[in-house]
Amino acid sequence: MTRLQLDLTVPLDRYTLAVRWETQATFLGIFGPSGAGKTTILEAIAGLRRGASGMIRVADRLCLDSAAGVSLPPEERGIGYVPQEGLLFPHRDLLGNVLAGQRRAEDSGRRLDPEKVLRVLELGGLEHRTVETLSGGERQRVALARALCSGPRILLLDEPLAGLDLPLRRRILPFLLRVREEFALPTILVSHDPTEVRILSDEILVLAEGRSVACGPPERIFSDPRVFPMARDEGFENALRGQVTDEQDGMTRVALSSECHVHLRGEGLAPDRTVLVGVRAEDLILAIAPPRGLSAQNVLPGVIREVAEPPGTAGVDSGVPVMVELAGSGQVVLASITPRSRRELGLRPGLEVHVVFKAQACRVLAAL
Amino acid sequence: MSPGPLLPLLLSLKVAAAATAIILPPGVALGWLLARRAVRGRSVLETLTALPLILPPTAIGYLLLRLLSRDGLLGERTLGFDPGLLLTWKAAAAASAIMALPLVARTARLAFERVDPRLEALARTLGLGPWSAFFGVTLPLARPGLLAAAILGFGRALGEFGATVIVAGNIPGRTQTLALAIFSDMQIGHDREAMVLVGITTALAFAAIWCVEALLRPGRRSSR
Repeated sequence: MTRLQLDLTVPLDRYTLAVRWETQATFLGIFGPSGAGKTTILEAIAGLRRGASGMIRVADRLCLDSAAGVSLPPEERGIGYVPQEGLLFPHRDLLGNVLAGQRRAEDSGRRLDPEKVLRVLELGGLEHRTVETLSGGERQRVALARALCSGPRILLLDEPLAGLDLPLRRRILPFLLRVREEFALPTILVSHDPTEVRILSDEILVLAEGRSVACGPPERIFSDPRVFPMARDEGFENALRGQVTDEQDGMTRVALSSECHVHLRGEGLAPDRTVLVGVRAEDLILAIAPPRGLSAQNVLPGVIREVAEPPGTAGVDSGVPVMVELAGSGQVVLASITPRSRRELGLRPGLEVHVVFKAQACRVLAAL
Repeated sequence: MSPGPLLPLLLSLKVAAAATAIILPPGVALGWLLARRAVRGRSVLETLTALPLILPPTAIGYLLLRLLSRDGLLGERTLGFDPGLLLTWKAAAAASAIMALPLVARTARLAFERVDPRLEALARTLGLGPWSAFFGVTLPLARPGLLAAAILGFGRALGEFGATVIVAGNIPGRTQTLALAIFSDMQIGHDREAMVLVGITTALAFAAIWCVEALLRPGRRSSR
């Protein structure tokens, strides 16, 4: 089944957005810098963009076909839209907001139990709070709950973590992952944060100035030499999934596999907790021999899977992505390596390396 | 002998209430249209709506009189029956309603403009049709402003004189509202009675404006 089929043209102020995308993946991500046209795509899918032309098919429902004169109004598209600003209804309490789309949920037979949604999003007990008294993170979750409870075919999330400070992002991210696991609802997530898109998506479309730059699965997309510099500029972090094993001398140890452990500053996390550890590509060092006498706490064995070609002669001083699969875990990391290091070390696919980074260079992105 | 302040007061309240009821639906609709739709001839519509604000009330009254007279467009000859409005409180209500239109439509327009259209759009994505979105989101959010529009319309109708006197006359106990009674008392030198009536109208106007200000205070549940 095709989840999404897009062939979209929307004239905008500075350029004309023109995107084609067809995919079977369930969790879709759209990544691009601000002003790339990401929100426009979501609005066009939701039916809120006049001037959008072309074709939009969502989960086998034809929403727009300009050639055939089809353009469904927003209420018939079966969309659960969570805009960046949340846009809660100020005249209703929390529950009133969450149940605003209840009618469609019941008519469509795609109803999710609101109680369960509130429980998963940890909003239970706040049902009768007014919108003004909710915190930023709570509002974001209410907007998500409202969309989930409206019986959508697909969820559209516009920058769900933007505008939240770091501690709050770390709190909301697990909710998004939990929603993904609990409800398995097809989702399109839009973000300028490559880490977020990477964690939450199975397939990613990269957008710049209204054009598609590349699309594909996350582990491939960010190692693409056209995408990697963009992602790095937007603060790309590798996300490593592992279990907390113990905490000693103020350091938390996270096991990615039996062979790979990551040490980072103590977070007071209970053992066995699943965490996502973030580390930037430019903070990774590759060693072709087992390093000795280093102060760095993290030395992880792995094998190079892919080495990107440097992009021509321009920008030779900036790093190119080298993809390393960490031993025993199947997880890959991207290291940003200068073309000179790449040449001098003879980095090539299949080469065994050690990935080195300081405990201070990594952090917990989310505790699940 | 003047009939005292009670009768004109009650009549004024009746006329103003009826005028408000008449003008509120079209006034609100007009306000919505001007706030939300890029209709053709919009500026003409805006100007027409504001016209009763500027025109002498007697001009409006005279037009209404011609309209309702035997040969008028809404008169006995065209309709085939006598609507019997002239020189009754109903004519006073109709005249007051027209005079209240600009205030009602403008205040309603502001009320709708204060509602974030993205909230309506969002309601649509939740499966609500345009009407459900209007009644479920737009109207409740615009309610304080619309209430203010109604009160302003009511207040304006309460003070109407020029158009009313032409179509309804100044018949004590039948069409003599507060505004008309003040005029009559003044003309026959009943200064004390006139002052009492002035006091009553001032109190009513004060209360109305005070309510409106409270309703329109920024920071009241608005969506922006």
